[in-house]
Amino acid sequence: MNDTNPHAIMKQPLPDSSATTPPALVFEARGLKKDYDDGRVQALRGVNFRITQGEFVAIIGPSGCGKTTLLQMLGALDLPSAGILHYRGRSIAELPDPAGYRAREIGIIFQAFHLLPTFTAVENVQMPMFETDRPELSRTERAVELLKSVGLGHRLDHFPAKLSGGEKQRVAIARSLANGPSVLLADEPTGNLDSDNTKSILELIIRLRREQNMTLVLVTHDLNIARMASRTVQMKDGLIVADHPAT
Amino acid sequence: MTFFTIIVRGLQRRPVRTGLTLVGISIGIAAVVALVGISRGFEASWATGMKVRGTDIVVSNMGSALAPKPFSATVRDRIAKLPQVADACAIYADLTSVEDASMMVVSAREWGGFSWHNLKLISGRMPHDAMEPAVVLGQTAAEVLKKKVGDPLQLETKELTVTGIVDGGAMVENGSVILSLALFQNITGNEGRINVIDIRAAPGLTEDEMKHLCEQINTTAPEARAMVAGEHLGNSQAFRFISAMSWGTSLLAVIVGVLGVMNTMLMTVFERKQEICILLAIGWKPGRVIRMILWESALLGFLGGIVGVVLGTLAVKVLETLPAIHGMLEPDFNAGLMAVAVALAVIVGVLSGLYPAWRSSRLTPSLAMQG
Ligand SMILES: Nc1ncnc2c1ncn2[C@@H]1O[C@H](COP(=O)(O)OP(=O)(O)OP(=O)(O)O)[C@@H](O)[C@H]1O
Ligand SMILES: [Mg+2]
Repeated sequence: MNDTNPHAIMKQPLPDSSATTPPALVFEARGLKKDYDDGRVQALRGVNFRITQGEFVAIIGPSGCGKTTLLQMLGALDLPSAGILHYRGRSIAELPDPAGYRAREIGIIFQAFHLLPTFTAVENVQMPMFETDRPELSRTERAVELLKSVGLGHRLDHFPAKLSGGEKQRVAIARSLANGPSVLLADEPTGNLDSDNTKSILELIIRLRREQNMTLVLVTHDLNIARMASRTVQMKDGLIVADHPAT
Repeated sequence: MTFFTIIVRGLQRRPVRTGLTLVGISIGIAAVVALVGISRGFEASWATGMKVRGTDIVVSNMGSALAPKPFSATVRDRIAKLPQVADACAIYADLTSVEDASMMVVSAREWGGFSWHNLKLISGRMPHDAMEPAVVLGQTAAEVLKKKVGDPLQLETKELTVTGIVDGGAMVENGSVILSLALFQNITGNEGRINVIDIRAAPGLTEDEMKHLCEQINTTAPEARAMVAGEHLGNSQAFRFISAMSWGTSLLAVIVGVLGVMNTMLMTVFERKQEICILLAIGWKPGRVIRMILWESALLGFLGGIVGVVLGTLAVKVLETLPAIHGMLEPDFNAGLMAVAVALAVIVGVLSGLYPAWRSSRLTPSLAMQG
């Protein structure tokens, strides 16, 4: 179990050159397609890529080019129409327990935060833990710990309506880490935030990713944000048109 | 936070709607409790009435009216001759208005017959003879009619005197106006007519022998039907009708309850579509969402059931104090009926949640990312 202990040894991704064993392959897509409305909308038109353990991939591209759709495929929120999409060598479309995959392997962060309005911060963070056999007390403890690690130790019992945008996104980040995922998927996580909050939320996501050696796939419009990534994937009209390592 | 907290929070989010749904379902359950309780109580107390009079078999002609149809008094003598009949007492029983009370049991009993023996005097005295213009009142009847010993009592066109107040040992008895059969026949112009015969069988008869005796009586007296006491009310058409009505009304109330809960749960699912999608996106299994909805509606049913049982009991208590029916109800509110009512409410809750739960399970997590 990945714990967010600030004193934990930081696990850095191994640099490619010095690696004796290459970093594990996390995602692999070949000819990945996604249609909507019986093929009238082609959101993904044959996408190929490989993402390895610990990478920070920024996905950029104009509105409607298929960024969110791609993230949904990676998170098993929806099924591809054609092509191959593997997670650690297994087809995501054929996972026996897609909910379990979403609960334990993946953490998702949305642009609109998507907290449940009738639950407090600490309760929202516990939601994904119901799919594990963690007992009640330990659920609460871990949620408190996670909220402290995102700097919200003083907002545990606040309802979402009483939190600022930045605070809401911090709760959502804590929730995404609930079950110690190995992959973080973030769809324009700072899209609803002002520039100060954008900066601190990104720093938080990047710090947590580094501390826990998570793979991060982040969709953004902002080229300044994309520059922080180890790799930038540019999409257009449902295809990947450029794939650069960080400069 | 436990899963149960999530369920409760789901009901708390729209307190007014939850409250109104609770009222709806609890009224349904209250109707079940009140109607079934009353009709079962009626049956039970009628049976007790028979028992305290020491009646084994009742001979009467329970048609569709509330009071049995009259037949000739000679039937009594024919039946009394049967070897296994130990004793017979002719009665004319009527359900009629007496002074200010709209419905009273008037029970005119053969002078000297065994059906007088269970009456214990509380005050006053029994009539001196068969033709003295006197009545005795069961204690509830005395209360309802506001009479004490020595007061006059108008029956049909005749003014009688209340000579005694009695404890009959059963609700039916205590709610009755009791007088001599001959006097009553004289007043009402029903000479030679009776409509009930209480029969004591020879001691030690088995249940089968008792049934056999009934058949014998039926051949001897085709004018009426003999039935083992306690069973006879259940066989009366009027009682069956009341019983069917109470179950029918209850069923209707329950159906209304189901629709109410279903509507609420459907609204809740539509309203929480986005939230359900988010839960699915962060890893909840569809089965957990289904369970959440079903538990919510089951809890709604359970709470409605509890409130309904309380409401139904209170309603009957209020009903009992109404002068028109005071002393005529002896509702049977046993723990079994309460448990059945609450269980029924929970079943109603779960059934009403099935469709909404199925709807919720068809939501897909990808909707969470849009909007
Ligand atoms: N559920 C759906 N049904 C029909 N069409 C859809 C659906 N989801 C997405 N699309 C279409 O697929 C295309 C890609 O959508 P997607 O949301 O992936 O774009 P995006 O790159 O995330 O855009 P944005 O930057 O505006 O968020 C768009 O044309 C969109 O209208
Ligand atoms: Mg998008």
